[in-house]
Amino acid sequence: MAETIAGDEAVAGQGQISRWAQIRATLGAWGFMSPAAVLVTVFFFIPVIILFVISLTDLSSSNFSDPLTFIGLDNYAKLFRDRFFPKILGNTIRYVVLTLGFFNVGLALVLALLTTHINRRAGFFFRLVWLLPRITPSVVYVLMWRRIAHQPPFGILNQLLAPFGVAPRYWLVKQPWLFVILVNGFVGASFGMIIFTSAIEAIPRDYIIAAKVDGASTWQIIRDITLPMIKWPLLFVTTYQTLSLLTSFQYILLLTEGGPGLYTTEVWALTAYKRALKTYFGHNQWGYGAAWGFILVIIGIALSVIYLRVFRFNELVQEPKIDVL
Amino acid sequence: MTTRKWMTIVALLALVSMLLPACATPTPEVVKETVVVKETVPVTVKETVVVKETVAVPTGGELVHLVARCKAAPPHEEGRCNNLLAAVGAANAALAEKGDNRRIELEIIQDNADWGDYKTEFELASDAGEAPDIICSGHEHIGDWAPAGYITDVTDMIGDYPEFDDVIDSLWNATKWNGKMWGVPQDAEARPMYFNKTKLKELGWSDEEIASLPDRVAKGEFTWEDMLDTAEAAVKAGVVAEGNGWWHRPKNGPDFLYYYYAAGGQIQDEGDALIFEKDAALKVYKLLYSATQERGILSPTRLDGDWTSWHTGWTNGDVLFLFGGSWNWAEWFSNYVADRGGEDYLWEHFGFSAIPALKEGKDTPITLTHPLVYMVSSQCEYPDLALLLISKATTPQLNTDYAIASGHLGILKSQADYPPYTSNKFLSQVLPLLKFTTFLPNSPYWSAWSEAYYLGIQSVESGDLKPEEALDVVVEQLQNELGEHVVIR
Repeated sequence: MAETIAGDEAVAGQGQISRWAQIRATLGAWGFMSPAAVLVTVFFFIPVIILFVISLTDLSSSNFSDPLTFIGLDNYAKLFRDRFFPKILGNTIRYVVLTLGFFNVGLALVLALLTTHINRRAGFFFRLVWLLPRITPSVVYVLMWRRIAHQPPFGILNQLLAPFGVAPRYWLVKQPWLFVILVNGFVGASFGMIIFTSAIEAIPRDYIIAAKVDGASTWQIIRDITLPMIKWPLLFVTTYQTLSLLTSFQYILLLTEGGPGLYTTEVWALTAYKRALKTYFGHNQWGYGAAWGFILVIIGIALSVIYLRVFRFNELVQEPKIDVL
Repeated sequence: MTTRKWMTIVALLALVSMLLPACATPTPEVVKETVVVKETVPVTVKETVVVKETVAVPTGGELVHLVARCKAAPPHEEGRCNNLLAAVGAANAALAEKGDNRRIELEIIQDNADWGDYKTEFELASDAGEAPDIICSGHEHIGDWAPAGYITDVTDMIGDYPEFDDVIDSLWNATKWNGKMWGVPQDAEARPMYFNKTKLKELGWSDEEIASLPDRVAKGEFTWEDMLDTAEAAVKAGVVAEGNGWWHRPKNGPDFLYYYYAAGGQIQDEGDALIFEKDAALKVYKLLYSATQERGILSPTRLDGDWTSWHTGWTNGDVLFLFGGSWNWAEWFSNYVADRGGEDYLWEHFGFSAIPALKEGKDTPITLTHPLVYMVSSQCEYPDLALLLISKATTPQLNTDYAIASGHLGILKSQADYPPYTSNKFLSQVLPLLKFTTFLPNSPYWSAWSEAYYLGIQSVESGDLKPEEALDVVVEQLQNELGEHVVIR
């Protein structure tokens, strides 16, 4: 009997311990998550709410100091009535898809593969070179590109191509999209390059050595070992860079200002910026600009959800099986 | 030393060598020359200059700290704020004479920020309760700032300062909104048509024909259409390259409004709403479409936003006609042709006149004046002292010094007889252009109107749209953006 009581107490004690452990684990999880939660709340959720509220007003330079006047969804109606809205949306898709495909993921992967398959120090050096555009101040960086693609008789490109009989032209105006994508891509490629490089270097050497012993070619090793093992970094970079490109506009602003001509390279984020903060005569339409901005937030959230579902991010963040066992 | 250390040192050196040029102070002026072309990199200094003036205060008196904010291209436009600084002594002397124990201490903040950013800065500062006491800005900003309550209505205070009686009467119109006065004119200018004497000679014009061009323009004998024909002939004859027959500014700005005026357009009447006259706008779009897409006079890429190439192309003599501003003259001789003889070089190679009459439109020569005005912030605790300071800066001597240095026109009646002003060849020759002048509207809707109208200009010059299509787009844009605040007719 005494043994039984002792056993029940032990069970009860275990129950208490396990409940306490559970509470502690929950508190620990919340504790660890709280800094990020606070940051996301302060720098994302609250600004999004403010953005939405402003988008329902006619706030502008001429009534900035007055109490807010709510005008319902008028700004959104105005936005969708704008005949250039489809063109700007199309430009945004073109900009994101091409820059992402060719540079932020495509070139980044090529660079990571190349620099991890050559001498380690040489690889480090080339990666450093590819980081230069990212650490160069935006204005200086774009100024260099503008000089490269400048109009005749100027333009570094014109000088370089002249010996090959290529007629000089104003490259930036003739091929604006090429330069918009190059300028952004050369900066964007370095992010993926660093992530992919670290992922590739984390692949256990045993797999590569075993494959080589089995007679696998470099291409086979890349295709059958490297790429499948960096699947998650690939998906992460694709998602992150999509959202990043969607909201980036500073290089386009500095390079073409959305031109030449009629909204040729104008992207959504640039339009929002111009409406809210940048017209020649400085009449800022914060309410209208906020509506453009809020739609961009909706697009970003929608894309995030699609990426999370399609790429099954749950599997990426699930607990390692070794711990479960 | 190990290889790793060497690698680290080399990497650090590479990084430092890259960062240093970015941090270095911009070189004031660099001239690069090649056999083919000359490219001059202008002064690009944009740092904010903050200057404080200290003054003695009588016992029991009060030292009033005022802050003035100006946008000015260095060095020639710095008189905008520097003149206020120079007026501190006179203002304090006037206070002493009146037995007023207050004394003014002035802090100026002056840089060459972008107009849009400059305006936004003042609005945000105003809303944060940190507005400067005096701001010098474009008169059209009154259209936003007066209804927003950022600036002080000075209508009833202007009469207290006799210096303001000397201001040219018509310039006060630029300071008005809703029947009240919201500022004091600081400068004025004209926007002339510059012509290249050398290229006209190459085209076969005689010296007499060139010398008489400004008169012929003023009399309406040489029209806008004649200018385009001459430019086309120069392109065809190979005197200038295709697209270099005529240049206008490379981005949006006040100039394009006088095209609309020249075509017979009206933008304001008694009502609050702005007016958009389709006939006038269509004439402008047709003219620009023809010049870029059909006649090769104006480059379809002219609106590339690149001011450096614009100034360089003109001062190198590559272009036949240019629609610019009187202030460009000072900019060119101080920053672009200083090494080639400065102003003398300009007189030798270039001339100017009013913008020729558009025969198909209003058929009178035209130009546009865009006065900057000193405005007193509504947060200024001592608007009387701010106006006193402005009044002491509104003198023939200070304003003439500024006008000569910056290529702007005087704003005072007395300058017509003031020898330092009248003896300045450029100013005295530009002054008659004012009889053809027009202004921007002071309206909160002007910015949206201008953006929509400019959209049409961009689209026809790039060839994206035909003039009629551009007009439809602009009308639709105006109605969408401004609704009841624009009258389309």
